[in-house]
Amino acid sequence: MNVAADVIDMKTGAPRSAPVVDIRGAVKRFADLTVLDRCSLSAQEGEILTLLGPSGCGKTTLLRCIAGFLTPDAGEILIDGKDTVPVPVNRRSVGVVFQSYALFPHLTVARNVAYGLKMRGMPAAEIETRVTTALATVSLTGFEGRYPSQLSGGQQQRVAIARVLVLEPRVLLLDEPFNALDAKLRGSMQMELRQLIKRLGITAIFVTHDQEEALTMSDRIAVMRTGKVEQFGTPEEIFDRPANAYVADFVGASNFWDGYASGGRVVLPDGQTVATGLSGEVRVMIRPHNLALRPAGPQASSWTGTIRFRRHVGALMEYEIGLDGEHGLRALALRDGSTASLAAGDKVSLTLRDAAGCIVFPRS
Amino acid sequence: MTTGFHRAELLDRLGIGVIVALAVIALALLLLPAAIVVIMSFDTRGYISFPPAGFTLDWYYKVFNQPVLVNAMLTSIKVGVYVTLLCIALGVPTALACVRGDFRGATALSVFVLVPHMVPGIVLGVAVLFAGALFGIGPSIWLQSISLATYVMAVMVRTVMARLQRLDPLLEQASANLGATRWQTFRTVTLPLLLPAILAGAVFTFIEGFDNLSVTIFTHGYRDRPLPVELLAIVQNTNSPLVAAVSSVQILLAMLALGVISLTIGLDRVNE
Ligand SMILES: Nc1ncnc2c1ncn2[C@@H]1O[C@H](COP(=O)(O)OP(=O)(O)OP(=O)(O)O)[C@@H](O)[C@H]1O
Ligand SMILES: [Mg+2]
Repeated sequence: MNVAADVIDMKTGAPRSAPVVDIRGAVKRFADLTVLDRCSLSAQEGEILTLLGPSGCGKTTLLRCIAGFLTPDAGEILIDGKDTVPVPVNRRSVGVVFQSYALFPHLTVARNVAYGLKMRGMPAAEIETRVTTALATVSLTGFEGRYPSQLSGGQQQRVAIARVLVLEPRVLLLDEPFNALDAKLRGSMQMELRQLIKRLGITAIFVTHDQEEALTMSDRIAVMRTGKVEQFGTPEEIFDRPANAYVADFVGASNFWDGYASGGRVVLPDGQTVATGLSGEVRVMIRPHNLALRPAGPQASSWTGTIRFRRHVGALMEYEIGLDGEHGLRALALRDGSTASLAAGDKVSLTLRDAAGCIVFPRS
Repeated sequence: MTTGFHRAELLDRLGIGVIVALAVIALALLLLPAAIVVIMSFDTRGYISFPPAGFTLDWYYKVFNQPVLVNAMLTSIKVGVYVTLLCIALGVPTALACVRGDFRGATALSVFVLVPHMVPGIVLGVAVLFAGALFGIGPSIWLQSISLATYVMAVMVRTVMARLQRLDPLLEQASANLGATRWQTFRTVTLPLLLPAILAGAVFTFIEGFDNLSVTIFTHGYRDRPLPVELLAIVQNTNSPLVAAVSSVQILLAMLALGVISLTIGLDRVNE
């Protein structure tokens, strides 16, 4: 990521408006554990930004700093250009949808959603209209009188979203909001929520450790590792041009093949070459769908291995292939005639489909 | 294999039988004395004996026609209310400080509130009597209420603490995030969620205020003699079913209190 891209729109060349949320070198320590290590990222008006990273990398901690439940030890968090540190939690225009929803168990759905408006002293009649609208927005009309314990996980989540949206916050923070939902509901809620946020034009920061979810939901993704932002960019950039092996591995599951580069290229075992500016010891990233399998036969390439096991992944079949003296490679193939007969124990030969899809990293 | 299985099943049945029997014994221990007192309170004879020889409501008539007893009952109800109010006013903030306070000694405080309850009631009664004299408060309904509040404060503090500890801290954070001030959060989220615990504590503090004898005997006022002290005097001097009638009225009050709780917050939520 280069700095200019942040200020200048890449397509039009026009200067972008100032970011709504601007995090500059945020640091947070618990005792001697550094949980956030000079985190920097920014969210533009109406953008959905995702913090993606493994468990314990500091995603929730960063959200808590933005919401004001924690104060960063160093660095700045700006909202609309203003430093948030002196602003108390209840004065920040930041709405949080908690990982566990944190609905008030003693209040009905309607009163949960009305809560924030009531605290602001809004007249009862206006509260009622707004609550009705908010519940309609999340398709929960008719649930006004229910208590949270009488709702399904998905319904609770929508109440939590309505409760925050009714306040029209400047920034919406969502901490793994789909965790408690089953896979199918999760998929539909992801699309629904993205459309809703886009329709309302809210700037949102969204936390997940699920890379597919991040790719579905986000305009931009910040990939985090142990308190650091490893890469910050659009889903395409993150997926197609990962900044390092960590990002490549975390997003889109990758194979790594260790080789040697010279003369501006690396030669793979099947004879194909990948261009690179590096030389010496390198690590080549190969996406599983970029490997083609064939039963090892007379015209086999010199890159062969044995299928360790295969796994159904929706319409695709994933194969784990053991190579001699090396860790396995993964290949993803459509289930068609050429691969249908392949089973565990079979010898196969591998070929790269598209050398341009490979990325070469230095080996450290 | 099969015999082993039968044996295990037999043992299972036997185990269930033993548990049922123990439960029946426990229930009998809990209810039988109360039942016997109630039955004896209707006896026609002038002395306590079981089984009763006849049925009469005379003793109840006498209870409510003896100004001494009626006054004693009113005094005890007042003390119960004062003790409860004191325990709520002081115990809830103490519980909040113990659980939420991040000052040194929060743990020490939570242990310290237990001390008066661990001391024998008689010792505490004497201690409060002396302490009261130091501040110029002699034996009275006030000293009695204070001494009993000291005695049962732990119940309120511990009950509220237990609930607070299990309260999801995210609820209060969510409230702040939705724009509530600390006080608004306390009033609209924390307090309503603590209410069942406070009510449960209140029932115990009221009953202790109403019928404690060991502490009361040293601290009560001589003109406002509470019911337990009055009852002791009657039992020492006579052997009439009058005492059984007074006790039955107390049992009725306790059941009313439980009835009110189960109707308002539900008995199963008392332990929340
Ligand atoms: N209050 C705290 N005191 C001490 N350590 C903490 C505290 N809160 C978080 N941590 C530590 O900080 C690290 C990051 O925690 P955080 O909750 O931000 O992770 P996360 O990325 O949200 O993970 P997950 O995906 O599991 O929710 C963890 O190692 C955690 O143990
Ligand atoms: Mg988290």
